Order: sequence, then C-alpha cells, then structure tokens
Amino acid sequence: MDEEARLSRALGAPVAPKRDARFVLAVMRDAEAARFKKASLLAVLRGAGFAAAAAALAVPFLGSASAGGAALQSGAVGAGALLTLVLAWRVMTGRAAAVRR
Amino acid sequence: MTETHDEARLIVAARRGESRAFAALVDAHQQAVRGFLRRFTGHWADADDIAQEAFVTAWRKLDAFEGRSSFRSWVCGIGFRIARDARRSHNRASARDTDWLAESDDAPDAAPIEDRMALAAAMATLPDEQRAAVALCLGEGFSHTEAAAILKLPLGTVKSHVTRGRERLLKALETNDG
Repeated sequence: MDEEARLSRALGAPVAPKRDARFVLAVMRDAEAARFKKASLLAVLRGAGFAAAAAALAVPFLGSASAGGAALQSGAVGAGALLTLVLAWRVMTGRAAAVRR
Repeated sequence: MTETHDEARLIVAARRGESRAFAALVDAHQQAVRGFLRRFTGHWADADDIAQEAFVTAWRKLDAFEGRSSFRSWVCGIGFRIARDARRSHNRASARDTDWLAESDDAPDAAPIEDRMALAAAMATLPDEQRAAVALCLGEGFSHTEAAAILKLPLGTVKSHVTRGRERLLKALETNDG
C-alpha cells in the first residue's frame, strides 16, 4: 500500500462514536444548569430592582412621617416582610419555569 | 424533508427553548465536533470536555447563530477557539495522549496502529492552525471553504495549511517505515 492510501486510511477512520447517548445527556445536563443559573440570576436582579424602586418610594414617605416613630417602625417591618415574600415567590417561580422548560 | 430543513426546524425549536430539539442537534453533530477536537488537541478526555463546553455555549448563544454556515461548522468554530485558548493558557502542547488510538483499534477497517501512532505524533508537531485545517479537511471531511469559515482564515491559507500538513504527515509515514 502506498503512503497516500495509508494516510487516507489512518486519517479517515472516525475517532469518535457515531452515537453517544451519555455525551448528549451530559451536554443537556450542563445546558439546563446554565439556563437555570441565568433564569435565577434574572429573577434576583428583577427582585433587586423592585426592592430598589420600593426603597426609593419609601424614602420621601419616611421623611414626611418621621414624627410618628412606633407606627412607622411597625409599618416598615410589615412592608419588609411583604417584600421578602414577594421576592421569594419570584425566585421560586423563576426556578419552576426554568425546570419546566 | 431534507437534512437541511430538518436542521433548520430543530434550530428554530431550540431557539424557542425546546431542549429535545437541541438534544437532537447534539446527537447529530457530536461525532464531527468531537472527532475534530480529538484530532486537534490529541487528548481524548480534554477534547470531549471542550466539545461539551462548545455545545453548551452554542445553546446559550443560539440567538446569535445567523445560519451563514452549518450548525456543525459553527459549533466546531466555538470548540476550536475554546481549545486554542485553553492551550495558550495552560501550555498543554505536551499533554497529548494516544489512548484513543488503541480504543479505536477494533474498527473493522482500522489502519495499523503503528501508522496511527506515527500520524498522531506528527500531528502534534504541526502548528495549531495547520493541525486544525488538517483535522477538519483530511480527518472529518469538511470542505476547504467550511474550514476557512470555522478557523476564520482566508481560503488560500487553509488550502496551503492542508497541503503542507499533508506533506509532513506523509513524510512521517515514510520515516516510520525506515
């Protein structure tokens, strides 16, 4: 056999399997993890944006109502608890949507 | 329905977020992408890791795929750049292995192991772009035009890389006989 034929034979042989379910599954597992990470990050960023907007709205209110200390404190705690619940709900729904996709 | 139409349909579905469609694309093209990267890196396990990373990157950036090349070429290009950057940062030129040569020895029409060892050693001595061009065109059957798009090189440069690389590989086989 001449060198040309030997070269073609040695180089032309496939070096990876035609089908490999394990490889496909490994790629899809990583792809889903990357998508979940992105979705979670977006949810957190949206939540942070919402919190910043709420805080910006609350500052003038705090300034004008500085006289009523106790009532203001309980109101702020209640608003904070509500905000935490909303953020947790958004993160969980973002996660569920990522898993469903 | 043709293969191209099937691929276009799968890409549209994958862009909508259908993971089954993307899995079908991975299944259809993993052999070419892994084959190219195994030949290029000379390291089987690293090549498969890079191929995996290339497909995940393709999944994340699917909206940026313009369809000017085939999906297979696009992912090979992503894999090539990941592999090249990894070699630059880790200086892995000497980390080539030849385990895969022995594992593919049971193929019915396999070339003698001595020839494949000699070629693997010769491939390791080729410059990166030349080795990539040889792996694509002579190893995986890509056209010169496709290889030029993958490697982002002028067509004439790719043709020259393939011709010179082929000469050096032939010389390695001759030397191996002596």
